[in-house]
Amino acid sequence: MSPSASSTVARLEGVSKAYSGRSVLKDFDFALEAGSVVALLGPNGAGKSTVAGLITGRLAADAGAVALFDRDPRDTDSRARMGVMLQAAGLPEALTVAEAVGLHAGYFKRRLKTKDILEQAGLTALAKRRCDKLSGGEQRRVHFALAIAGAPDFLVLDEPTTGFDPEARRAMWRLVREKADAGVGVLLATHHMDEAEALADRIVVIADGKIIADGRPAAIKARVAGSTIRIRTGLSPAHLKMLPSATKVDQRGADTAILTTNARATLEALFSADPALTDFEVTSASLEDALADIIANTVKEAA
Amino acid sequence: MSALVAAAPGVYVREAGAEVIKSARMPQFIIPTIVLPPAFYALFALGMGSGNVEMATRTLATFGVFAVMGPALFGFGANVAGERETGQLELKRLSPMPAGAHIAAKLVATIVFSAIAFALIYGLAIFAGVRLAPAQWATLATVHTIAVLPFALIGLGFGYRLGQKGAIAIANIFFLAMAVMGGLWMPVAVLPEFIQTIAWALPSYHLGEIALMAAGQSDAANLWLHAGPLALITLAAAIFAWTGQSRHAA
Repeated sequence: MSPSASSTVARLEGVSKAYSGRSVLKDFDFALEAGSVVALLGPNGAGKSTVAGLITGRLAADAGAVALFDRDPRDTDSRARMGVMLQAAGLPEALTVAEAVGLHAGYFKRRLKTKDILEQAGLTALAKRRCDKLSGGEQRRVHFALAIAGAPDFLVLDEPTTGFDPEARRAMWRLVREKADAGVGVLLATHHMDEAEALADRIVVIADGKIIADGRPAAIKARVAGSTIRIRTGLSPAHLKMLPSATKVDQRGADTAILTTNARATLEALFSADPALTDFEVTSASLEDALADIIANTVKEAA
Repeated sequence: MSALVAAAPGVYVREAGAEVIKSARMPQFIIPTIVLPPAFYALFALGMGSGNVEMATRTLATFGVFAVMGPALFGFGANVAGERETGQLELKRLSPMPAGAHIAAKLVATIVFSAIAFALIYGLAIFAGVRLAPAQWATLATVHTIAVLPFALIGLGFGYRLGQKGAIAIANIFFLAMAVMGGLWMPVAVLPEFIQTIAWALPSYHLGEIALMAAGQSDAANLWLHAGPLALITLAAAIFAWTGQSRHAA
């Protein structure tokens, strides 16, 4: 593994792609650097899988340039440096884990030893088990093993931890993190915000074929107003909206949620307006809230 | 030669080995395709037609073709459909595996299992009193081996287009229809006239006739009468498989 930390693994420049006349991506730019985990997020049909399809050479762009290691992604040499974990994937049922991994590794010249692949994927104990005798999570680990078999410089992971228990998820995240720390560029497609938050160095949010947010998870979160204050109060919503720094008031029965850009200022005003107030809770916006907000705002602007 | 992609011959050999292992470990696949044709042959040649060496020789030729059909139609149709549905084909396509390795490996596995099936039939034939010259045995085995190709291509065409269940259903229909209407169980001449007409479009019929020539049961002067249509049918099957493959790639 030699790439310097700043080298570009995959690049899309001015790419357009349409399916039977319906435009999915238009003049789209994207780059993925070695050693980083980039999560692609966005609603279904936003263009995430099209981006992944173009980078892996499964789809051809209508216009623009797609490069993987500065070559056509469909070049065999580009593919030889890439490892893929597909979302819907079976395994050769009658082969053992070691046989399936060894067969796949055999496609690559710069392959890891089967024993090492199994060890890295936590499959050593299952080496002789037939693939049709594995649990869902174990099968997913075999898919990961196949993805890393050729010692790739680029990993594409589509929903890698679906069906995992929390412990297995964290174990998988550790494996991915180790690869990224060793210089591998990782493209992660996921529906789980906690996964993106735990794993990604960079989150790219796509909606309607455009990148609407791109940055570190913390930066994406910071794009929405800081925190939410939950209280029970007799004050009217109209009054609450007048509080300093309050941006939004959401009342459900006796429970009220106030979105604020400055929790301290809002709370101080709240205490003086309602001296009886004792029960309150302050939480920072979640990544999920932030994304919902960013996507909703983009759709509003477009309308 | 690429610095990153494994050398092709090694990949082909490993892929073929894996295909043979996969099939061998699936008794539900092995038993019907390997055991059924010899069992039927035993029934025809040793049971019903006991002592009739001419009938045992004729059915040896045509049952050899029958024995090849099962592994080819099911191995390619149902297995490729299953691998496509579960994304295994996609994963291989995204890997640097040489494009032809997967199909070549399946062809090798099909030939291995077909050969076991028709070798069992040859053994039963000798037991039934059939005597052929060594050259005739060799020619017959060659015809039976070549017979894998058109059926494999037909199976492949369906495997690329249908789901696994659909491909199994179609393979079953083709398996029986081509055996009966192609005259593999009983001569086409005893079948209704419209089936005799249909038989001309079936690879099983022409392969059966060519196998009969190889076994000295039919005049080899008529070879091109059957080899010609067979070549056309095989070409059509190849186009059917190829268009299915590119449809899937799109």
